[in-house]
Amino acid sequence: MTSKTRRSRRRPAERVRWWTYLGLGLAVAASLFPLYWMFVVATTDSATAYKLPPAVLPGGNFLHLADLVFTTVPFLRSLANSLIVAVCIGVGQAVLCALAGFAFAKLRFRFRNTLFLFVVLTMTVPTQLAVIPQYLIISSLGWVDTLQALIVPGLASAFGIFWMRQHLSTALNDELLQAARIDGANTWQIFWRIAFPLVRPAAFVLGLFGFVTAWNDFLWPFIVLKSPEMYTVQIAIKALQSNRDIDLGLAMSGSFLATVPLLVIFVFVGRRMVSGIMDGAFKG
Amino acid sequence: MATLLDPVQSIHSAPARPVREGWGERIAPYVYIAPFFVIFGIFGLVPLLFTFYVALFDWNPIGEHVFVGLDNFRRLFDDPRFFGAVRNTLSIWVLSTVPQLIIALLVAHLLNHVRLRFAVLFRMSMLVPYITSVAATTIVFAQLFDRDYGMLNWLLSLVGVDPVDFVQSTWGSHLLIAAMVTWRWCGYTTLLYLASLQAVPREVYEAAAVDGAGGWQQFRHISVPSLRPVIVFTVVTSTIGGLQIFTEPLLLNPSAPLTCGPIRQCQTLTLFLYEQGFGQFQFGYGSAIGVALFVMVVVIAGINYLLSTRVRRER
Amino acid sequence: MKFRTAASITVVTLLALSAGCSGGSEPNTGDGKSFEFWSFTGINQKASVDEYRKTHPDVDVKLTEVGSSVETAQALTTALAGGKIPDLVLIQGDDLPKFVQQAQNFHDLREMGADKIKGDYLDWVIAQSSAKSGQLIGIPTDVGGMAMAYRTDLFRAAGLPTDRAAVSKLWPTWSAYIETGRKYTAKTGKPFVDNAATSVFYQAVNQGTEKYYDPQGTPVYATNPQVRQAFDYGLQAAQAGITAKQSSFTSGWNAGMNQGQFATIAAPSWMLNSIRTNAPSTKGKWDIATIPGSSGNWGGSYLAIPKNAKNAKAAWDYIAGTQSPQGQLEHFVTSGALPTTPSVYTDAKLTGFKDPFFSDAPTGTIYTNSLLGLKPFLIGPDSSAIGQEFLNAITNVEQGKGQPAQAWDAAVKNIKTAIGK
Repeated sequence: MTSKTRRSRRRPAERVRWWTYLGLGLAVAASLFPLYWMFVVATTDSATAYKLPPAVLPGGNFLHLADLVFTTVPFLRSLANSLIVAVCIGVGQAVLCALAGFAFAKLRFRFRNTLFLFVVLTMTVPTQLAVIPQYLIISSLGWVDTLQALIVPGLASAFGIFWMRQHLSTALNDELLQAARIDGANTWQIFWRIAFPLVRPAAFVLGLFGFVTAWNDFLWPFIVLKSPEMYTVQIAIKALQSNRDIDLGLAMSGSFLATVPLLVIFVFVGRRMVSGIMDGAFKG
Repeated sequence: MATLLDPVQSIHSAPARPVREGWGERIAPYVYIAPFFVIFGIFGLVPLLFTFYVALFDWNPIGEHVFVGLDNFRRLFDDPRFFGAVRNTLSIWVLSTVPQLIIALLVAHLLNHVRLRFAVLFRMSMLVPYITSVAATTIVFAQLFDRDYGMLNWLLSLVGVDPVDFVQSTWGSHLLIAAMVTWRWCGYTTLLYLASLQAVPREVYEAAAVDGAGGWQQFRHISVPSLRPVIVFTVVTSTIGGLQIFTEPLLLNPSAPLTCGPIRQCQTLTLFLYEQGFGQFQFGYGSAIGVALFVMVVVIAGINYLLSTRVRRER
Repeated sequence: MKFRTAASITVVTLLALSAGCSGGSEPNTGDGKSFEFWSFTGINQKASVDEYRKTHPDVDVKLTEVGSSVETAQALTTALAGGKIPDLVLIQGDDLPKFVQQAQNFHDLREMGADKIKGDYLDWVIAQSSAKSGQLIGIPTDVGGMAMAYRTDLFRAAGLPTDRAAVSKLWPTWSAYIETGRKYTAKTGKPFVDNAATSVFYQAVNQGTEKYYDPQGTPVYATNPQVRQAFDYGLQAAQAGITAKQSSFTSGWNAGMNQGQFATIAAPSWMLNSIRTNAPSTKGKWDIATIPGSSGNWGGSYLAIPKNAKNAKAAWDYIAGTQSPQGQLEHFVTSGALPTTPSVYTDAKLTGFKDPFFSDAPTGTIYTNSLLGLKPFLIGPDSSAIGQEFLNAITNVEQGKGQPAQAWDAAVKNIKTAIGK
């Protein structure tokens, strides 16, 4: 590229071509179609799913199928279970990761760098592969078939600590800290009254992602939860599917009912999630 | 205590008071990082070490535990099902990562227009797959890809292609799972790339446009190089995620859920681990599979480290 | 500060809720009359429980349908390995051998009163839930029997007889059955049977004097000519192109049943319920004929009590109350589950039972007759895994992915890898 010697006039931003909108439209359609199809089958019945050419319009059978979903498995209870677990993990991660991130970002203590390196390393280990001993430990604690078995392990998020540390490093400058110390604030007060409020948006986004991940988690609840009243909504969907005499309409209804709460929440906080991903993008 | 919300003022107005360097203050940092280490220690590190231990036994969860040394590993390396699972996992990973990155690159480039209307709506709708539950996704996709009654095969029949049995065939099932994984993560990856692209100053693109570079050339010579580090990042996270694929294969084959079909055509490593451990009551063998998974992760993390230092050095 | 208080209140409330809600509500263990019961789906234990509660209104039975029979067995395993165990559990016959092998996990039911009623049950059925040491860990609730369900309308259209006695004569052997299938498919261009693996191989292999293990417990699956013969029948059916390639209990199988995609299904008595629920529009279009080889059994479940169950006595009372010959007969009338107590096989309620969905076929008689020719053979701890590999091999050939000539060797090799023997 040749460099310009004279300052180029500020050109107006390029007009967006129509094929850009076409491409994006296709992307959106692809993203949303499976959900739409789920909705169609959930509001009609299995026979619709087996019709060729495929039916693409929703029907009015939703209430009947929804009712069946709620009677086949304790679905309402499973929604509550999922909510409890996801909120606890979301809030828990937001607070705990902010705490630890603050410590790594702004506090001086021995082995700080080594310990942080350890945290970063654990990000690469998929703890899923140790499910068998994890199950043995949980059962020796007597936590099989409980919600705390899902919540407590989910509170440790190495990525969350990494993320909060990034944000705290940039948001909190050292002069502010020093001034606070001179004023006699102790560490907790600095965290709770200065640091945390500054990164509340970031913590909120972290909590959101923690919530979504916990809501959609499958393997661990599948192993640990046994009685249907303790199911999270993901396991409840699976239970609908593994009925010997499967009814696809039922399974899709359940799937749809399990997705709707997240969709509703997404309408309100989706923008935050989008900016959360984009703010935290890997910067070289 | 002086108001902490106005520290600047208090510096000048109040006399300086030293902070009590008490015992509480000294251990504060360790207390703050303790929850992570305690929880990870109990539920992450100890199980990991324990996996190595259990792998040395023939461990029946409701029976006896017999020490067998490295027998489980010997058996594992002789086991065609293990290599089948490795092959399946790798194949699914390639099929899901490559299209995902390419599509994400293209869509991110499309989104990277200043005057794009409905930008927020586009971005949000692309994130919807990410929040959809994996179980629900599998049920829907399995039906859409069904051999006899699925929409995809119906579309194919319109152009004269014979119906493909996605669920029962090896490559078909890999495609199906890859499609699900791609669908789920593409939007997320797109947003990551978009953020990196937006870090490139507009003047660079403008200068190129003035020099006569068209859209495609701008893409190839400006967008792609600036995305290299984040591409490496997404490849690595996709790999580690790919090694853990479990729910999709589990739900694809209701008649043979743990093996993902009669010839284990889509049984991934994590599913194989679960099948041996919780299905066949062989905790020891399952743990050996876990150890193998761990080794693979370490290798990939090592490769990533080498790759990213190389990328950094190049910049 | 509002956020902080709101957040802390939320977290505390939710943690309290979760702690309080853990483990579900346990039945009142104080009176020793209530108990927790795990069953699997599709077997309608709820009807049994409701019946029992009519005569024992003070007993609270907490029934949980955990999932499929395999999932229930897995849940039982993880529970025994260190979780909350139920007081009573229903275990399917295929999953039972692994538990019998580890009989120390269960109560010896003879000590609870089973030795008095042991004689009521078919001896080969009771033998399956008895450990080597003689411990009896399960009381059988039902057996499947075996017959061939067929579509009368599709047979008529293909020029085949529709009367069940005449149809039974069409296929005294599996070769004759496959031949009939060939004729049907040639005439109509449609598949004759749902699949070769379960409807042909799986049933044929149960008709011999020995299956995968010899009486001493040594695996003989690779050398037993009866197993080989059954396998070959499966291969022949697959290669003859007469199957719809639908594996049992898949959504494609359901859909195919609804749309008349295949004309016959090897059906044990409990599968009739599946057909009824999955394809209600086909009512009256089915009938039941004898299975080729005339005898057979698929399925059958057992009630067991884990060793450390809190309410073992209440659980045993339930077993004694519902699994008596009369109790099983009543259960047959309401759910079609075949009794394991031969004394009621001649009862009018059973012999007179006709099923209108299946053209008024006397299902009680047909299925108990199929049990008569059965010879008891040993089912070993890995029988289920062995059977599954054989099924897989045949399905593979059926789907066009395996070579028939190598199918047997591939299956044997896979079995050796899977079970180590």
